[in-house]
Amino acid sequence: MQTCEIAAAPTQSVTTKSHTASEFQRGVFASIPVMVGFIPFALVLGTNAVQKGFTTQEVPLMTGLNFGGGSEFAAVELWGSPPALLVIVAITFLVNSRHLIMGAALAPHLRHLPRWKALPALFLMCDESWAMGLADTQRRKSSSMFPAFSLPYYLGLSLCLYATWVLFTAAGAVLGPRLGDIRSYGFDMAFPAVFLVLLKGMWKGLRTALPWMVSLAVAITTYRLIPGAWYLPAGAAAGVAFACRNTRSPS
Amino acid sequence: MNSATLLTIGAMAAVTYLTRVGGYLFLRNRELGARTKAVLEAAPGCVLIAVIAPDFASGNSANLIALGVTLFAATRLSLLPTVLIAVATAGILRHAAHLGGG
Repeated sequence: MQTCEIAAAPTQSVTTKSHTASEFQRGVFASIPVMVGFIPFALVLGTNAVQKGFTTQEVPLMTGLNFGGGSEFAAVELWGSPPALLVIVAITFLVNSRHLIMGAALAPHLRHLPRWKALPALFLMCDESWAMGLADTQRRKSSSMFPAFSLPYYLGLSLCLYATWVLFTAAGAVLGPRLGDIRSYGFDMAFPAVFLVLLKGMWKGLRTALPWMVSLAVAITTYRLIPGAWYLPAGAAAGVAFACRNTRSPS
Repeated sequence: MNSATLLTIGAMAAVTYLTRVGGYLFLRNRELGARTKAVLEAAPGCVLIAVIAPDFASGNSANLIALGVTLFAATRLSLLPTVLIAVATAGILRHAAHLGGG
């Protein structure tokens, strides 16, 4: 409720049009190295999606509406005809559940924004735009700038990443079939590479990694014993259950 | 486009958007329990590693060596060089295994 009052109050910040434009531009430039990193994965995702039965229109539809690389790679991996809706939705939620923590961490810095601005802006929140937006917020805060969270910077950054993702997944869907079987070139190894680098980013010591090992072991066993995509929910559920059990609730 | 595909994509998009706004709407003023925190922290990693489990279960030695090299690269390098090394290693090893009749 307190936040609503603050949001409703007139903002004292001096946001002129040219200032907004230069902040937006700063975000666009900041996005360039990440954009370069996005392109190969977008192409691989688009190519694999088409191999799994997506049409060239359905690929940008999924990447444009969902905009979550990890969950899209998982969905394509699980995709069948017809797609197993419940399994895919459950996995999408699990893969993207980190957004809940990310959004909660960002929330205190969004108090100067009305909800009609904050809610659409959060649609564009991905790992990279979140991390870079938060780092920028902390930088601006330490030089006592208001507001610490620069919405035009965040939008310049995240809109470029969004456009790159949708455009290049679509390009992968169109060009993929012409490239032939990308597996023979080794491009499929980009999958585990991306996931391993993402895992390294989440690494906070061996203790946090123990549930991952449980998940991996159960997933491998299930994969060998049961046909289909069950290895994924089985491994993930086992890992999460292990993490839950391993945490003592404060007495 | 068929309706099952559209429905699945729509459901994915809805669930993903809920995770994006959920933290902002519901968690901003709330203290999380230790177990909830632990589950929220562990879930993404558990899912990511389970997705690539079939790669670890591969019986193909070229794939397994490439995966080992990728794992090593991932611990030391950033995203782009890791991916380039992974793709190149897998491509070269598979080609070599093919030439060697393996």
